[in-house]
Order: sequence, then structure tokens, then C-alpha cells
Amino acid sequence: MNEQTATLRVVNVTKRFGDFTAVNDLSFEVKAGRVFGFLGPNGAGKTTTIRMIVGITHPDDGEIEIFGEKFSMEMQNRIGYLPEERGLYKKMKVQDQLRYFAALKDVSQKEADRRIDYWLERMNLSEWKTKKTTDLSKGMSQKVQFISTVLHNPDLLILDEPFSGLDPVNVEFMIEVVAELKAQGKTIIFSTHLMETAERLCDDIILINKSRKIIGGTLREVKASFSKNLIALRAIGGDSVLEDKTLVAGFVKHADEREIELAEDADAQILLKKLIENGAAISKFEQIEPSLNDIFIEKVNETNA
Amino acid sequence: MRKFLAVVKHEYKKIVLKWTFLIGTLLFPLIAAGFAIVPAIIFSIKGEPTRIAVVDQSGKIAPRLKENLSAERMSAKVKQAAKDSLTDLNASQQEQINRSAEQFGASFVFTDYDFAEKPLEQIRRELGGKITAKELDAYLIIPNNLDSADAKYEFRSRKAGDFGGERNLRDALNEAVRSERLAGANISETQLKDLSRNVDFDSKSLDEKGDEKDSDSVFIASFVIGLMIYITLAIYGQMIMGAVVEEKETRIAEILFSSAKPFELMMGKLVGVGLAGLTQLAIWVISALVLVGIGVAQMSAAGMSISIPNISPLMVVYFFIFFLLGFFIYASIFALIGSMVTTMQEGGQFSLPPIMLLLIGFYFSFAVIRDPNSSLSFWVSIAPFFAPITMPVRILAETPPFWQIALSILINSLAIAGLVWLASRVYRVGMLMYGKRATIPEVWKWIRQS
Repeated sequence: MNEQTATLRVVNVTKRFGDFTAVNDLSFEVKAGRVFGFLGPNGAGKTTTIRMIVGITHPDDGEIEIFGEKFSMEMQNRIGYLPEERGLYKKMKVQDQLRYFAALKDVSQKEADRRIDYWLERMNLSEWKTKKTTDLSKGMSQKVQFISTVLHNPDLLILDEPFSGLDPVNVEFMIEVVAELKAQGKTIIFSTHLMETAERLCDDIILINKSRKIIGGTLREVKASFSKNLIALRAIGGDSVLEDKTLVAGFVKHADEREIELAEDADAQILLKKLIENGAAISKFEQIEPSLNDIFIEKVNETNA
Repeated sequence: MRKFLAVVKHEYKKIVLKWTFLIGTLLFPLIAAGFAIVPAIIFSIKGEPTRIAVVDQSGKIAPRLKENLSAERMSAKVKQAAKDSLTDLNASQQEQINRSAEQFGASFVFTDYDFAEKPLEQIRRELGGKITAKELDAYLIIPNNLDSADAKYEFRSRKAGDFGGERNLRDALNEAVRSERLAGANISETQLKDLSRNVDFDSKSLDEKGDEKDSDSVFIASFVIGLMIYITLAIYGQMIMGAVVEEKETRIAEILFSSAKPFELMMGKLVGVGLAGLTQLAIWVISALVLVGIGVAQMSAAGMSISIPNISPLMVVYFFIFFLLGFFIYASIFALIGSMVTTMQEGGQFSLPPIMLLLIGFYFSFAVIRDPNSSLSFWVSIAPFFAPITMPVRILAETPPFWQIALSILINSLAIAGLVWLASRVYRVGMLMYGKRATIPEVWKWIRQS
């Protein structure tokens, strides 16, 4: 699959539960081989949308296309889903559970055993193969659940809060694993509340709130559209330049630096030039991009208002 | 289909490969045997003989009483009683009777006590003192005038709960006094025995071919079959509920639903657990048949005849068919409950109605054993919920015409189709509802939806 084909197309999908509309006329595309951030506050309709993608429920209106075809139950074997609310059989051995989950995805036992060994090794869990779930720590169970999601070598991975319950070291480790899967050409839908992680991992994002799409696009585009022309400045002298209303709309003083908001249509390069001309000793001059976290909070508050 | 089989295999192995399955399989026959044997053992445990002093103020009763309580007389009595209730005695029963007769005979030791010329008050005081000092266990005071209206036979004992011993003493005393009265009326004891002999009551029921069969053994076999189905249905039904609740509680359901159709998952669970139940029943039935077979062979080799109910292979087949019908009826109810609730404890509260249904079915089986051809027996043995217990009992007690069995199978199969349909609708929605227990109106909405 090349970069341009869409692994998943959600077209005008609506899902209602009685009087409540959980997903309202939602459309987006997930391109093949990319990491797609599916973001939104609690209750926005993320889980409902994901459940429709994996075939647990079905849309009332609209269509879901996966791998270029209309959704059918056979596609479940090509999708790996790690739900946010997840668990393991308490009294079963790690290996037996993984075998069962693999069998439910139509993987032969021989092939499953081979992959179980590979993944347990990769996750440093080999010695836990014949242990029961109750003997595992929370982090280890999370990793076993992750293995169950990738055992059948799915082309589309849907990871809902995959790093919850992991310590920072293991989060880094799992980010590495996800990057590895992406390098193998898998398409990954990644749903999380951790905006920093989303920013590091995602190529594209969509933000939904109150059952509707708010913004979407590549991470770059989204951030650029939110750029407020902020500049972080650490300098001695040149204070008179900052009074120029044609250049600077205002500034806030932090400990030893200032956050400057440029005036409309003002150019950061001209500001820099003027500062130097006025004899300012500059140790930092940086254009600030809004963080995904800022965008998330601002947009969600806006639509909630 | 492959996924369905994967679920069946998973559920089957999860139960059968656990040590609890092995224990349960071995334990049930032991418990059943225990119910039969333990009371006999307890009653055969011999207490210390009672040391008794007899104060016979009339001077006529004590010798007869002692004779009535002697070992030989007690043995004869027990044997007579046993002969009345059991027509054919086998060797072990015979031996058992002899043993218990000896015990009864040896249960009183008479202590000499010289009461001549002493007033009643002093006798009581002296004997009471001996009892407190534990030199004596009991005393009996026989009045001077046997038949006066205010004649009282005083028995005082340290052993408050020795009902058996007390009854024997009372019987022996009554008999002794009666003999004394008869002697007064010039009737000999042989004449009396002749007059009060019991009739010989031979009880057997006829099966549809007119062959005699022993009603006791049919009763026991029917009861055991009813109990066995009742217990396995209750246990395996709750196992289904446990398995469903576990997948809901641990949130595995969501992963499962993203891999296979809910209907496949639920049916796989029912079939897998059902096969495990069938395995356990088959082990019980086959081992029971083998054991009874060996027992009968050994006894007839020793020249003894024992009556066992005539169980044909067809009956065994019916037995398994009705077990499976019952299993699917109750398992789908328990699966439905499991997908409504959030914890096993909540499930326990809701499982009362199906358990009550099972229990009512079990109680109806007594009515069926008593009169397999009554219209009540007909209705309860074709009615869904009850038929899985009552029909096998009825078949064993007196096989009804084939059309009734076929009708029962048909009606119960239809009930299963309906219940599985209901359960699968509730299962599909309920398994993904976390947090709170569903209310009945909610469940009703899920059933009607889509």
C-alpha cells in the first residue's frame, strides 16, 4: 500500500442510542502506514466510533470502509484492537490466553506459538510464559494485552490509551515498539489523553468533541493553523522596541524571559532586526508553536461554551 | 465455525483440565454413598451398656423384664422386624442384623440393689445418690399394684438422649406387664403370638410389559437420577454465569467482540460448558453401571439375588438427551443473567428464580415417581423448565408412550430456541455495559433493539 491509499474511511457516520446521539455525521480518513491520533475528551464519542470500526457495533447512518472495501466481519482478522477497558483471564496461563486470542483471529496454533515466543521475548516477558495473570504486575499485564493485539499481525492497529499503567521507562519502550510497527507499514490509530505522547507519535490527528469532528489534518497543518505568532525572548536592552504597537501586540514577563505576541501582520524577522539595531543583547529568540495540549483545551472549551 | 470451535475448546478445557473437576467427579459418588452409609455407621456405634437397678415392688415383673431384655430375645425381635420389611435377605444384611441385635441385647446391665423394707422415699434418695456418684446409670421402680389407676413406673436416667435404649426398655416392660396380665387371664404366650402375627405384605409394581419390578429400587433409582440432573444443571448453569461475568468484569468481552460474533462466542460457551457437564455425567453413569454390574455379578456368583431396576440403553440415551435439553434451557437463562449483572454477587441474587424453577422440577419428580401416569405427571414431564428433570424420572418409573417423549423433546427444543435468542440479544449489548447492573426495562429495550 502506498502513502496515498486510505486504510480506513469513515463517511458521514452517525450512531444513536435511543435519544442520545453518540457520533454525529463524522467523516475522516486514515492513510496507510501512518500514525493517526484520535483525540477528544471523555464522552466525546471516541469509543463508540472505534467500536464501529472494529465491528462490535454498526453505524445507523453512513459507511465505514476498511482496506478499500465496505466493512465486513472477515476484516476483524486484519484489525488489532486494544480497548481502553481491557483485561485478561485471571486464572489462565499467559501462553494459553494468547493462544486463545490468536485462535479467535484465525491464527493456526503453530504460527501462534511462534509469534507468542517472539513477542514475549521482545517484551522481556519470556519467563512469564507459563505463569498465571494473577502473578503479573500491572505493567506486565498491559504488555501481555498489547501482545494479544498484535499476535495476528494486523494491518490496522487501534490502540486506545495503550500506555496506561506503565512506568516512564516502559512508556518509552512501548513507543519504540509502536514506531517499529509503523516502520513495518502498519497503520495505527492511536487514542489518548496524553497530548505530549500524541505529539511525538502522530502524523495526523483528529479532534472530536460532543460527537462531532472539530479539527483534523496533519499535525503540522493543525499546529500551523493555531499559530498565534508568539515569541519567547531573552534579551538585555532594546525595551523601547517592545513598545512599538505596529510590531508588538503585548507581552508577558516570565522569570528571565518575555513571551511576546506579535501585532497582526507583523514580521518576526523585522522585530529581531530592530532589537539588534537598538543594541539588545539577545540570548534567546524563538518562535513558539502552540502545543497540542493548548489546542485541545482551547478547542474543547470553545465547543463546550 | 473455526472461531466457534476455538471457543468450545477453550471453555471445555478451562473446566475439565482443572483439579476441581476431578475432585467434583470423584466426590459426588462418594458423597452420594456417604448419605447412604454414614447414618448406618453412626447408629451402629455402640454406646456403653446402661447400668440399671430394678426395684420391683410387686416381685412379679423383674424376671420377665430381664428375660425380655436378654441378648437372645432382642436378636430374635430385630430379625423379625427386618424380615417384615425386607423380603430377601442377603448375607451382608443378615450379618448386619445379627450385629445390631447383639448390641441391643448387651445394652443393659442389671445391678443388684437390696430394697427390702425401705420406704419409697429412701429408695429414691439412695438410688439417686448412686447415679450422682456414677455407680449407676438409671433405675426403674415398678409399683406394688400393677393395674391400679395411679400405678406409676418410675424410670430415671443419667443418659437423656438414649432414645433407642429407653424405647427398648419400655417395650420390654410393657411386654412383661402384658404377659403378667395374660397369665392372670389364663391365656398362654404361644396363643398370644398366634393371634398377633403380622400379615406377609409383598409389594411390587408392574411395568408396561406386566413384569414385576421392585418398587423400592425403582424409587431409589428415579430419585438418584432426578437428583443428579438437578445438581449438574444447577452447578453447570452457575458455571456459565461465572464465565460470562468474568469476561464482563475483566473487560475481556470487548476484545472478544472485536474478534468474533457475539452469537458464536455465546453459543461456543454454552456448548463447551455443556460438553464438560456431559463428560462428568458420562463418567458417573458409566462408572455406576460398571460398579453395579460388578456388584450384581459377584452377588449372583455367591448365590444371592439382588433386585436392580431394569435400565435399558435407550433409557440412558434419553437421560443424556434430557440432560442436554435442561442444560441449554438453564444455561441460556444463566448466560442472560450473567450479561445483565456486573459482579458474581449480583448474579447470585438473580439466580434465585432459575434455581427455584429447578427445585420445583425436582419436587415434581416425587409426584411423578408416586404416580407416573397421572395427568400431573404428563404435564410436568412435557413442560419446559421441569421436563428435563421429571421426564427421565418418569421414563425410569414407567416409560410413557413414545409420542409423549417426542412431544416433550420438541417443546423443550422450542423453548431453547427462544431462550437462546433472548440471551444472545441481551449478551450482545449487556457485555459492553460496564459500571452498573441493567434494569429489567433496559434489558427489554436491548431485546427489542435491532
